[in-house]
Amino acid sequence: MSRRPEPALRRIAILGNPNAGKSTLFNALTGLRQKVANYPGVTVEKKTGTCDLPSGARVEIIDLPGSYSLQPASPDEMVVRDVLLGLQDDTPPPDVIVFVVDATNLERHLYLALQVIELGRPLILALNMMDAADAAGLRIDTAALERQLGVPVLGISAAKGTGLDALRAFLERDVEPSTRYFREWPAHLQRVIDRLQERLPMRATLPERARRDVAVAMLLDHGDDDALARNVPAESLADAHMLASRLDEFSPGWRAGDVMGRYEAITALVTEAVNAPVGSTRDERREKIDRVLTHRVWGPVIFVLLMGAVFQSVFAWAQPLMNLIDWGMTHVGNAVGSVMAEGPLRSLVVDGVIAGVGTTLTFVPQIAILFLFLSLLEDTGYMARAAFIMDRVMSRVGLSGRSFIPLLSSFACAIPGIMATRSIDNRRDRFATIMIAPFMSCSARLPVYALLIGAFVPNRWIGFITLPGLTLFSMYFLGILAAVVVAWVLKKTLLRGGFPLYVMELPPYRMPNWRGVFTTVRERSILFTRNAGTVILAITVVLWFLASYPKGSAEMSRLDATRAEAVATGDTVLVQALDREKAAVSLEHSFAGRAGRFIEPAIAPLGFDWRIGIGLITSLAAREVMVSTMATVFNLGSGEVDVKPLRSALREATDARTGRRAYTPLTGLSLMVFYVLACQCMSTLAVVRRETNSWRWPIAMLLMMNTMAWIASFTVYQGGRWLGFGA
Amino acid sequence: MTGTPPHSAAATRGLDRLAPGERGIITSVDCPPVVARRLMELGLIPGTEVEVVRRAPLGDPMEITVRGMHLSLRKSEARHIDVSPA
Repeated sequence: MSRRPEPALRRIAILGNPNAGKSTLFNALTGLRQKVANYPGVTVEKKTGTCDLPSGARVEIIDLPGSYSLQPASPDEMVVRDVLLGLQDDTPPPDVIVFVVDATNLERHLYLALQVIELGRPLILALNMMDAADAAGLRIDTAALERQLGVPVLGISAAKGTGLDALRAFLERDVEPSTRYFREWPAHLQRVIDRLQERLPMRATLPERARRDVAVAMLLDHGDDDALARNVPAESLADAHMLASRLDEFSPGWRAGDVMGRYEAITALVTEAVNAPVGSTRDERREKIDRVLTHRVWGPVIFVLLMGAVFQSVFAWAQPLMNLIDWGMTHVGNAVGSVMAEGPLRSLVVDGVIAGVGTTLTFVPQIAILFLFLSLLEDTGYMARAAFIMDRVMSRVGLSGRSFIPLLSSFACAIPGIMATRSIDNRRDRFATIMIAPFMSCSARLPVYALLIGAFVPNRWIGFITLPGLTLFSMYFLGILAAVVVAWVLKKTLLRGGFPLYVMELPPYRMPNWRGVFTTVRERSILFTRNAGTVILAITVVLWFLASYPKGSAEMSRLDATRAEAVATGDTVLVQALDREKAAVSLEHSFAGRAGRFIEPAIAPLGFDWRIGIGLITSLAAREVMVSTMATVFNLGSGEVDVKPLRSALREATDARTGRRAYTPLTGLSLMVFYVLACQCMSTLAVVRRETNSWRWPIAMLLMMNTMAWIASFTVYQGGRWLGFGA
Repeated sequence: MTGTPPHSAAATRGLDRLAPGERGIITSVDCPPVVARRLMELGLIPGTEVEVVRRAPLGDPMEITVRGMHLSLRKSEARHIDVSPA
């Protein structure tokens, strides 16, 4: 995969509507020679790859996000427009555009094609799915299309690989840009556009015709177009806004004038070039599938079953793989540990670095499995149906059906869930979904719930459910409730939008493209490991340091002396007991232990003492670490934790100052509520940082969740005591 | 909008009022300009025939076809699209 250094690779962009088969074509042309990055400043993926042409020349291929229009309605579409108009700094306009359309539905795919052809850049129109069009009896006159559009037209099937050789051969040649223009602006509007265009001090890379489109974009701008604001002088933009509001007054409907013009051109074009058999407009297969999958009763039933399967697989099927990674990393740690001399360096490598790598890698099975399912659902077309079915429910909190699957996945782990929000086109909805995803009780909270319920909740039947079962259910429910409230508030305040549009295409059903599916799975796993992994590793090392240093204290020396005596007398039971006590003392005297004491005044009103404080701090690595930390604190050792003694240790723990029980059932409840709501998972914050491309959102998340957790636990503990449950 | 089709105003309804299987011709798209433009770019322009295919299991949104494309549209959005009988 060595990339040749010369910068002069011809740059080909693949462009088209969603579901045109762009990505299939991209995968077919580039094979696995791809890389994924983000466009700077936004969370839109930039997929590039290389392709070798028949002559041996190599070209660079960019897979631009699927779009419906050059008037952007989403961050994805914004990037497409910026690249094509030369407003995207890191990605100059491509040398050639391969515009992919679905041959079975030219009428719908030609709109964006006409917009792009009008830009006057070299363009090849690829009629994809020609095999399906042939099968449906559609006869497409490509010569007529070439004549009318002024661009070369090529029939291909990206999935079957037909026509790709011809396409590659085409990419060798120079393509003459079209000079066609498919719509007329009314004279008064044209004058306005000309005026704006003349006064544009644009860069030299911008062809004359693209300047006109920048002028149109300025007119249609609502002040939220960052790329325009970056590239156009503020006074020109203000001028355009002023002109636009005058037009609104005197010429209502002007904003959509060009849309009508293009559709008239499309109707004429399709009438001339496409010969469809009579009565072929309906896709019978699609109708049959949809009658079941979106059926009033069967639709939701199948949906629940499918979601159950997805959830179950992320939650449970990933477990053996995670255990395997865990086991592997433990062995690596032991192997490395056995060749290194005992000391701080070994501890850093084994307990810091290797453990951190292990933490990162254990997320990968969940991410890989979730994205396997997600890309299958997306590829087949079911994802849009799932959103269709769930939209009504999610709209109650101001979200859309697209938010459902990321949130469901978050019950297994918020990290893949947050990564899955990329399928939400609406930026505000996506951010709201990211912000509420960590409220879903993830699998890392389960060991904590289990420990606390086992320790403090009596196993009694309440009607048809046991008290522990009811408690566990309440914790899940509390998380959902918090998410609903936060989503609702966010959508009413910070993330309020003018007139959100939830119109969504329901694509035809297709067989999944396995190559694409596996490419997605691979990409997601690598991206996570590379980007979030580094942050997780750093945090693990920091936490290792906090829990291990400073070393040595008077008490430790005393314990060491006693231990040496015990070793001498061969009292192995005493040695083990002393080792456990040493671990406890070491943790207590570490920075983390001191921090536990330091935060005690802040958490005492919630019913937590400094020992729980230590657990809260070490939970920052992963919530389930709470369990092993507690075991260490209570002198039970930190290796294989047997939960039963830990449960009774918690129940019987005493407060050194009062001699009374340190924790009551109310403490347990308060602590569980805290774990439901608090943002403790640093890995989640690392992923939020990556997915929102800013530190603002993860910091807001941390503050919001921890404030909520504190208030809720305070209410539970103090309210409970007031009601007399404190005993 | 240009080219108002010849029909009586009384016969026009919001697209959300059409039952599954019913068709209509779009007469106007009446919502904030950005939204109207988007809907029209998706092919929902006056003079075009639309058909309501079904409603989602919970009654909202609805699936429509326009120019061979299937769209999911919330009732609150469909309300702004007026149609006359096909």
